[in-house]
Amino acid sequence: MNRRTKPVVLIVSYLVLTLAALFAFYPIWFAILASGRIGDRLYTLNLLGMFIPTEWTFENYQTLLFDRPFLIWIRNSLYVAGLTTLGALLLSTSAAYAFSRFRFRGREFMLILLLAIQAFPGVLSLVAVALILTALGLFGKHLGLVMAYTAGALVFCTWNLKGYFDTIPIDLEEAAMIDGCDPIQAFLRITLPLARPALAVTALLAFLGAWGDFVLASVIVPAPDHMKTVVPALYSLANSVSIPWGQFAAGFVLMAIPTILVFLFLQRFFEAGLTLGGVKG
Amino acid sequence: MVGWSGLRKSLLVALFVAPMFLGVLIFNIYPILLNIYVSFTNYNRFHPNPDCDLWLNSIMEPRCWPMFRPRLPQGLGTPFTLQQPLYQNYSELFGRLFTSRALGDLAQIALCLIPLGLVFLLHRYWERRPGQLANRGWFWGGAFLASFALAAGLNLPRAVLDLMESGDFIAVVFRTVFFVAARVPLSFLLGLVLALILNRPSLPGRTLFRVVLFLPWAASSVAILMALVWQFFFREQGTINQLLALLGIKGPIWLNHPFSAFAIVVLVDVWFSYPFFMVVILGALQSIPQELYEAAEVDGASWWDQLLHITLPLIRPAVLPATVLTSITAFQMFGTAWAITNGGPITGVGKPGATEFVMIYAYKQIYQLQNYGRAAAFAVIIFGMLFLATLYSLRLTRITKGAYE
Repeated sequence: MNRRTKPVVLIVSYLVLTLAALFAFYPIWFAILASGRIGDRLYTLNLLGMFIPTEWTFENYQTLLFDRPFLIWIRNSLYVAGLTTLGALLLSTSAAYAFSRFRFRGREFMLILLLAIQAFPGVLSLVAVALILTALGLFGKHLGLVMAYTAGALVFCTWNLKGYFDTIPIDLEEAAMIDGCDPIQAFLRITLPLARPALAVTALLAFLGAWGDFVLASVIVPAPDHMKTVVPALYSLANSVSIPWGQFAAGFVLMAIPTILVFLFLQRFFEAGLTLGGVKG
Repeated sequence: MVGWSGLRKSLLVALFVAPMFLGVLIFNIYPILLNIYVSFTNYNRFHPNPDCDLWLNSIMEPRCWPMFRPRLPQGLGTPFTLQQPLYQNYSELFGRLFTSRALGDLAQIALCLIPLGLVFLLHRYWERRPGQLANRGWFWGGAFLASFALAAGLNLPRAVLDLMESGDFIAVVFRTVFFVAARVPLSFLLGLVLALILNRPSLPGRTLFRVVLFLPWAASSVAILMALVWQFFFREQGTINQLLALLGIKGPIWLNHPFSAFAIVVLVDVWFSYPFFMVVILGALQSIPQELYEAAEVDGASWWDQLLHITLPLIRPAVLPATVLTSITAFQMFGTAWAITNGGPITGVGKPGATEFVMIYAYKQIYQLQNYGRAAAFAVIIFGMLFLATLYSLRLTRITKGAYE
């Protein structure tokens, strides 16, 4: 706050920042170190080895990639999360546009209903969702998981896109319509191309939601091993009897760290939305 | 908007909204209704299939519908029907909550909170009439003292522990409330301190620190895996105990003691959540005009005075909704505790574990015990609580503002 900072304040500031950065970064760094450690141990008695890689092997990566169905898990997750993203965007984009551009009876009620639904976490409706999926014959199948995720993502996507459509000036569409477009053409040709960045961010968030989920996946697709998505699969790998912790760490590096990086990239979009009190993804 | 009107517009709106609304209806609204229905049945692993002759079952339970009926497996155990009495699942959850003893404990707890509640009401009254500058700090201090004196006089911890013995529901909800009460202020404080430091524009390395300090929030997208890494630090042969062993100390089994297990879950969840506060507060700090501080400095205000009388009041509008939102999120925390403790350690036979929070309890009832009827009843009550909390947060964040414009 003072424009000229006293040296003592500066030193204390950096001390706090460094400790906090260590606190923030060490667990992730620890997983990276553990993934290259020799043997099945995550820890080392060597004090230096806790902070820098004193020994390194790709054994864990090799076992994970070639002896375990890691790539199949990744493929399952990509398939499920990809279809979820597609489904959620297809259903929510047109609805968000209608909410943003048209005034019709029941609009406010529906918007608030959506927000109220958003408050209910997936775990709590799990019993009912599982029953519905069983009736449809989709329990234990990837498509069932996609349906459950899509339902969860719909509300968030609709609100997010509606918020963005609200910021696009309506004049453009009106001009297009004066030139002879009908509302559907105006939506497809004018608004959608303009909303491309918002669509991309929303898609990415919907994707990440399905990609990182554990609860629904562990209940709806509990087995067999080659059907699992990557998060529950890695979770059970870490909790299995033989405890191949090094392999878990390797899986963490291969799967979680790219996810974390994508999330970091999304940071500025969060910051923009958060100060408005936006919905947390 | 120019374009269509009348019937054509209605059709267009229906065309645009219907696919989404159908999805919401089938996978969000119908499950809530079905869930309420299941909460009154004895659906569990011993009664996995519906009794389709019961007309309520034939309406509510999708597996009884004619088109899905062929898939229904036959002859697996006795089918489930309505509970006798109907509210059996709920009374199992509430246990002895509605006995005079438990209600007495509840009344004692409420009594201790009365002074704080009164001052809170008074505070809101003051806010509407900013002219009267009573010394609010004294009132709050007095209220805290009065509450504390009442708590000590009535032996509050005993009342709380006694109440938590009365049934699963109260035990789980109280534990979750304690968790929220510990986790939210801690992550707020950490976020505030870091935001205040990072807000100095002239600080070299500021961007780097910002990115690194944001990492935990990014890691919350794979929360359960990240929490597993954390769990390793606190295992019997984990990192912490290895470090202690180097110093010649034999570390305890951290995750086997109710208190330390709880503290560890709080710590890890603070790790996940402080960046949220940091980002919100940083955003709010940047919108405070610099002149205010300059004027305060001319008037000789200390750094502490500036913090209390400029910074904190001005970031309040942004921080308050964020706090409510994050409290609701913390109430629903699942991954951290599940990965670290699995809801344990055990506190007694058939009782929820020391870190068995609301979502963990629901998940365990479904996944491990297959006690679907009871899980549904639990979900109904938590739905109710979350619904009220959400209505409150919507009012606070004014996020529905756009809906009325």
